Amino acid sequence: MSLSQALISSIAGLNTTQSNLALVSANVANAGTPGYIRKTPNQIATAANGTAVGVRTVSVQRELDTYVQKQLRVENSGANYATIRAQFYSQLQSIYGTPGSSTALDTVYNDFTSSLQTLASSPDDSSAQAGVVSKARLLAEQLNSMTSQIQSMRSAAELGLSDAVNQANDAMQHIAAINAQLSGLSTTDSSAALLLDQRDSYIDKLSQLMDINVVSGDRNQVTVFTNSGVQLVGRTASELGFDAAGTVSANTVWSADPDKRGVGTLTLTSANGSTVDLIQTNAIRSGKIASYLQMRDHDLVQAQNQLDGLAAVMASALSNTTASGTAVTSGPQSGFDIDISGLSAGNTITINYSDGLTNTPRTLTLMRVDDPKALPLSNDATANPNDKVVGIDFSSGMTTVFGQIAAALSSTGMVSSNPSGSTLRILDDGAGNIVNISNVTTTKTATSMANGTSQMPFFTDGTSIYSGAVDGVGSQITGLAGRIAVNVSLIADPSALVKYASGVASGDSTRPDFLYKQLTSATQLFPPGTGIGTSGAPFSGTMSTYLRQVISLQGQNADAAASLKQGQDVVLNSLQQRFDDAASVNIDQEMANLLTLQNAYAANARVMSVVKDMLDLLMKL
Amino acid sequence: MTVASINGRSTQMLQSLVNLRAQLDDLTRQISTGQKSDTYAGLGVQRGVSITLRSQLSAIESYDATGQTASTRINLAQTALSSMAKVVTNTKSAMFQATNVAGVGGASQVQTTARYSLDELSGLLNTQVGGRYIFGGKQTDSPPVESADHILNGDGSRAGLLQVISERRQADLGSDGLGRLDITNPTLSSVNVAEDAVSPFGFKLASVSSNLTNAVVNGPTGSPAALDVNLGSGNPNAGESLTVRFTMPDGTTSSVTLTATTDDPPGANQFTIGTLPSDTTANLTTALTSAVQTLGSTALTAASAVQASNEFFDADANHPPVRIDGPPFDTATATRTGSSADTVIWYTGDAGSDPARQTATALVDPSLSVGYGVRANEQGLRAVIQNVATLAAISITSTTPNGVDLSQELNSRLTTGLNGRPGEQKLADVTTDMATAQISIDAAKNRHTQQNTTLQEFLTQIEGVNDTEVGAQILALQTRLQASMQVTSMMYQMSLVNYVR
Repeated sequence: MSLSQALISSIAGLNTTQSNLALVSANVANAGTPGYIRKTPNQIATAANGTAVGVRTVSVQRELDTYVQKQLRVENSGANYATIRAQFYSQLQSIYGTPGSSTALDTVYNDFTSSLQTLASSPDDSSAQAGVVSKARLLAEQLNSMTSQIQSMRSAAELGLSDAVNQANDAMQHIAAINAQLSGLSTTDSSAALLLDQRDSYIDKLSQLMDINVVSGDRNQVTVFTNSGVQLVGRTASELGFDAAGTVSANTVWSADPDKRGVGTLTLTSANGSTVDLIQTNAIRSGKIASYLQMRDHDLVQAQNQLDGLAAVMASALSNTTASGTAVTSGPQSGFDIDISGLSAGNTITINYSDGLTNTPRTLTLMRVDDPKALPLSNDATANPNDKVVGIDFSSGMTTVFGQIAAALSSTGMVSSNPSGSTLRILDDGAGNIVNISNVTTTKTATSMANGTSQMPFFTDGTSIYSGAVDGVGSQITGLAGRIAVNVSLIADPSALVKYASGVASGDSTRPDFLYKQLTSATQLFPPGTGIGTSGAPFSGTMSTYLRQVISLQGQNADAAASLKQGQDVVLNSLQQRFDDAASVNIDQEMANLLTLQNAYAANARVMSVVKDMLDLLMKL
Repeated sequence: MTVASINGRSTQMLQSLVNLRAQLDDLTRQISTGQKSDTYAGLGVQRGVSITLRSQLSAIESYDATGQTASTRINLAQTALSSMAKVVTNTKSAMFQATNVAGVGGASQVQTTARYSLDELSGLLNTQVGGRYIFGGKQTDSPPVESADHILNGDGSRAGLLQVISERRQADLGSDGLGRLDITNPTLSSVNVAEDAVSPFGFKLASVSSNLTNAVVNGPTGSPAALDVNLGSGNPNAGESLTVRFTMPDGTTSSVTLTATTDDPPGANQFTIGTLPSDTTANLTTALTSAVQTLGSTALTAASAVQASNEFFDADANHPPVRIDGPPFDTATATRTGSSADTVIWYTGDAGSDPARQTATALVDPSLSVGYGVRANEQGLRAVIQNVATLAAISITSTTPNGVDLSQELNSRLTTGLNGRPGEQKLADVTTDMATAQISIDAAKNRHTQQNTTLQEFLTQIEGVNDTEVGAQILALQTRLQASMQVTSMMYQMSLVNYVR
């Protein structure tokens, strides 16, 4: 080898060392930058001018463990899902109150029942009466405020979704832009490495928002899919859309039918113009977006349903009377007469019968509706899972009612008629013995205070009576907890708590005893959809037991969410640690590299000066 | 939360520091509030139990409060009832003394004392506890019993006991004092005693018996009942007697016995045997008339007063008072239904027919409801006020004919009334019911005290914290935290940068 070759080699070495130094300084400068991947140079030996051996930095290597990165992205979605959920749940827990404090839901309920006890032992005491009314108002107001807090959390979830969608769109745009830029660059040099770093950080941001699957292509391209296979970003970015609702209330829920939907839905418009509804297809299952959706559409709705169930059963336990029909016979047919005046929308006529062949007991429930658009009713309109429900439209007057009842009974073999006034007569088929009627009952809601029975419309749905009405829009029970109030005529005259008819003595504890028993020891049937009991086996128990189940279930859910978050955090942290071991900048290592480079530079320079000396010697000849 | 790595240092260290700090904060909160958690979520799997415990504790508290209210009322009721018992004892002993010792002066003294006792009784029955009248059944906002003055003297156009008794006396005695009997001689030697009409008033002929020789006695038969004694065939002998028994308006019986004698003039309840049977019959008639009159002014007057006051005290909101159909009263043959407009109704409280104890109930346990209501018109209480009022209503002075005998008849009937008949409720029965209720309430309270302790302990186990344990945990945590912080700071200071010139 000649001197000139040595010179060339050492110059190449100097250049390489300089560029390596630049890398080291870049690493050190970005040591604290989040998402920065440590870069190392790829040096290869080169042949220069045929025989000389030089060195060249051919590419910049990003020290990245792609397998861990993929795992990290998955766990990132999971951790964000769990965090959002845990936050919402801890906020939800605060509305149930601190255990044992005077604002806890069960304490307020217990205070109310205690005040009824006090009233039962001194019905004539006007301060005991006023005490009952004020405790009842506290309970109603507590339910109202809990509802408004739950709905404001749903509204927060709605806003969170809107925000997350914006962030996701932003990230996807950037990923697509970087894809386009990288397709023009063919080598992996430091500018390409920086672009790759940026793209990775956008993809990480996207993984926080939803669960994604990243597929690498050639020429440094990536395509991002959701885990369910919908393409989000390729050469071009699709666009996520979300039509946020302005106000969120108990009645605004998500539905696949756009006419019934009250809150926003997530749509993905791909570059070729096709749109897909992501909620309907359940395309997003992890990350912040999925968490918001879960809270808004399931968990918070369930919490609201639980409170609505509590309010509804409390109101109807105190106001609904069940009356049985009187047995009648007409020739060979036997059956029952019952008075169907005084039914409110949502009240029912229940016919228990059995067929003569198999003796299986069956139940037919006729429910009064005032809005023809509500028909036909589904069998879920009542809590009883074993009945068939037929809605009877009372809006056109009583004459059409009897015709509708006859039509409803036509397939059962029973016959209905209207012997006089508002009496309904239901008879079996007599000699044929195909059907036997066991009993006929009506459930009516009391509408006035002094109606002669212990039942009273204690709680009202805003200003109207609560009777479980079903109309074209939905059921009266939805959002009831937000509207429930103590009857204003009771507030004006608390003595109605004792005077269930005119002439009732002041010390008569019949009505207070009834109210107390209904709220503490009587068994009620609770509507399904609350997470406590199912449609097939609805929960039946006392009000106190139900309340306990509600609070207990919510506490358990919150506890589980917090545990999930803790678990996810541990996993995420350990993965992050593994990732950082390879990818983040270690100052000590960079310093050691610096020393090495410094020596290498000095050595190369020394070689150059030695060659220069030798050349000088040669020149001096 | 997750922490991004800083300068390549270990994220685990930082994460641990943050966690330790959070734990320390939570333990500090626990020790300062004494509560394991401030949400239901943190209570663990026993949160459902804690809610149940708390609702049970609240129920026990309210049961105890109810029991306390009921106890107060029962105590006051017992006080009133024992005062009433004292009135009964005093009245009975006064009547006994008056009857056996004092003569007419004593008789009128007893009436005055009875008047004061009646005032006391009506006041006791109108006892209030915190604005609530406890002897009125379910009617607790107005006094259940009229004042003594209204009961005796009436109120304006409404008749009181005095008027009712006087009307009944007129109806029972008739205009001639013979107790609505007609004593006639259909023939010269027969005597006919007949009730003057079919009516509930006056003497009712029960039976007649005689051992008079030659006398034929018939009856009583017919409607209205009559009997006759026929001496037609001959005179009786001396010492033989005729006895006529009468039923009184109040259901008691008394009799007149006339003995034949040869004395002239005859003694009390004797008749002289005359020469002819017709003379004897005339003497018999005179003696009979005089004996009946005497009986009328004593036993019949007393029985009439007792029956009148029975009818007066029967009245309440559901039973209208019974009055005599008249005037004129001395020929009245029927009663009429009065109303609250013309008669003082002594009991204005709740007059239902359901058991009186259940008119005021206290729920002292989930399934134990103690009844402690009382109505003033229960038999045991009504008997006391009725008999004392009757005693106060009859005035006997020195000019009252047969005053001492009347007083004795009256007092014996009233004493029987105050003692109570077997099978009827007595004042002591009411007192016993109250005492039983009080015992149930006390037993419930004792059970609750024990339950309370157990439940409270259980609740503290679930929700509370053990101060010592938490304190020790805080100390250990503090040490760990300090050590971690020290090591972290040492680690962060160690860097090659410090050593590269």
